[in-house]
Amino acid sequence: MVAVEAISLTKAFGDFLAVRDLSFKVEEGSVFGLLGPNGAGKTTTLRMIYGVLRPTSGTARVMGVDVRENPLEVKRMMGVLPEDTGVYPRLTAEENLIYFGKLRGMEEGRLRRRVDKLLDILDLSEKRFVIADKLSRGQKQKLAFARAILDEPPVLLLDEPTLGVDVMSAREIRRMIGEYASSGRTVILSTHNMWEVERLCDRIAIISEGTLRYEGSREDLERLAGEKEFEDIFVRLVRGETVGKAV
Amino acid sequence: MVRLFKGSSGVVKFTRGFGQRGYALPDAPWLVVAWKELLEAFRDRRTMLNVVLLPVILMPVVISLPALMLNPKTIPPKILVVVDDPGGMDLARRMKSLRNESGALVTVVSGGGNFTNLILSGEVDLIVEIPKGFYENVSSGRTGELIYYYDPYGARSSVAMGIVQEVVNQYSEEVLRERLRAINVSEEYIRPVVAVAKQITSTGGEATTSDIITAMVLPMMVGLIAITGAGTFAIDMIAGERERKTLEALFTNPVSRGQLLMGKFTALTLLSLVSGLATLLSALIGVLFAVSSASGYASATAIPQLMEPSRLLYLSFGILMTVALGGLTGNAVMVTAASFAKTFKEAQQYVGFLTLVLVVPMIAIPYAPQSLYPVLRLLPVSSLAMFARDMIVNPGELGAVISSLAASILYLIAFLWLSARMFGRESVIFG
Ligand SMILES: Nc1ncnc2c1ncn2[C@@H]1O[C@H](COP(=O)(O)OP(=O)(O)OP(=O)(O)O)[C@@H](O)[C@H]1O
Ligand SMILES: [Mg+2]
Repeated sequence: MVAVEAISLTKAFGDFLAVRDLSFKVEEGSVFGLLGPNGAGKTTTLRMIYGVLRPTSGTARVMGVDVRENPLEVKRMMGVLPEDTGVYPRLTAEENLIYFGKLRGMEEGRLRRRVDKLLDILDLSEKRFVIADKLSRGQKQKLAFARAILDEPPVLLLDEPTLGVDVMSAREIRRMIGEYASSGRTVILSTHNMWEVERLCDRIAIISEGTLRYEGSREDLERLAGEKEFEDIFVRLVRGETVGKAV
Repeated sequence: MVRLFKGSSGVVKFTRGFGQRGYALPDAPWLVVAWKELLEAFRDRRTMLNVVLLPVILMPVVISLPALMLNPKTIPPKILVVVDDPGGMDLARRMKSLRNESGALVTVVSGGGNFTNLILSGEVDLIVEIPKGFYENVSSGRTGELIYYYDPYGARSSVAMGIVQEVVNQYSEEVLRERLRAINVSEEYIRPVVAVAKQITSTGGEATTSDIITAMVLPMMVGLIAITGAGTFAIDMIAGERERKTLEALFTNPVSRGQLLMGKFTALTLLSLVSGLATLLSALIGVLFAVSSASGYASATAIPQLMEPSRLLYLSFGILMTVALGGLTGNAVMVTAASFAKTFKEAQQYVGFLTLVLVVPMIAIPYAPQSLYPVLRLLPVSSLAMFARDMIVNPGELGAVISSLAASILYLIAFLWLSARMFGRESVIFG
């Protein structure tokens, strides 16, 4: 079953086209990677899917629900880690989680259990009563990740989830993403980290200048990369050149 | 103190309990938002300063300081009586006895001399000179002239003159009575017309000047502080949240704009009320203090009259409504303005300008002609000022109260709608 579907998503800022006619489908229970250089339009695409940017044209569907028609319903099914973590600096780590948990309608007992568990797993327990302003860059990122998966929504949208996170924690986050997908839920993430894509994603889309350059399974990409460096393939795809016959 | 307001561990510990309350909140997004906004407000130095500290400390000072400064007992004015005419000693002695009544420091010297430099150096606030020939003139039916030397810029000089003038008037009247007796003319004879002023107020009581000022100025001040006090918080909630890049994350939750805004306004209204009531309370304390310390000089009737139960109820209700309506309307305007601004600083400039726009009608109302009142009751901002006036100064006119109240509520709704329109826009989230 298709969990998330982008249908001709297009976004213009003034007369600048940030995303052009982008379409893809993400299967339920899979990890989908958006790869592309700076300014490619990854964040803009994600923002349109999680309903904070209105597409200039086109739309997205999440579990069959149209984000333009029913944004709140879509938001209920989605956990989001935005590009700027959006952690509240004057709230403690714990309060940041309480705030979003309650906004998402979580019941007290379950919220307490989830907060305890996530703070523990992500090594944030000792920062529980510390205001987020005093957390390091990576700790904020981890807190924002915890917040995104707090109520275990069926779809997760992560904009560069391991940005600024140390090796150990990045590994933990990656493990949690993998686990999340194998429990039948869906993850879409954007990243610059090709190695991460290779390790984590079932399917990959490469975009540059707001245009989809490549979409395929990891195996397809691996086959393409078989002869050459993975990075080399990426560079050529970004430039819009065709690579091999598989595409 | 500084640590407490820096959002450091001290204040965080202090508010931790309130943070923990979040777990048990009911499933009502606007309540959750209000909880979080209040939590942030407690930890924001600027907000606490404006909402609580400023009114509590500033109001009593602003109100009681002038009264205290002008009260002869606080800093007694120094009066020098220079008697150049031995016959003027009687008058000088009366002035000297002022010391017991008013606390003024009166020094009497005989013989001439030039003492004016004492005024310039501030050692003396007033010099009264009883020149040669003064008594001669007074006792032979002519006018005896006294000379005051005073500092036109010194408030205490005027106070001193007022004190001395009372003695002089008394003395002058005694002389007049003696003269009239000598030629057998009655006092009425030389005062053919006298006007008797009778006040008409709906409460039946007598309004004193301080009563009117208290009733008129207090709600305005309270309303103003409620708006500006919570105003920084209004900016913080919108422009500040955008500046800290938390708005986007907030909007990823399955909560409508209306609910988010409602939560923010709930917190704002609460803070406005706290701010307004803190102002009111401290203002009343200031007035009480000023009146009690100035008793005998300023009228003390204002307070007992304000404290009359029925009056107090009406007054409190009027002030509460003014503060709530004013706070909400002001905040809706601020939220709209803050939505236009990219940064906290920019928003503050808008808000500064808007505050001015809000204040001018409030101040102008007491001077507006009565014939304009029906119009003023319907115009934005002035409708609220008129409501305060109708409730507090001129209670009883039901139609007037209703029209100004209805207009105020209508404007509130309009501004709320406008702020809701502005709040959800992409440009508000991403600047
Ligand atoms: N609010 C906005 N107004 C104007 N232009 C914007 C806005 N947001 C994004 N853009 C432009 O759209 C383009 C795509 O931006 P986007 O943030 O989606 O890129 P990205 O792929 O996420 O890049 P990065 O890897 O650096 O995060 C960029 O050229 C950016 O300048
Ligand atoms: Mg990005």
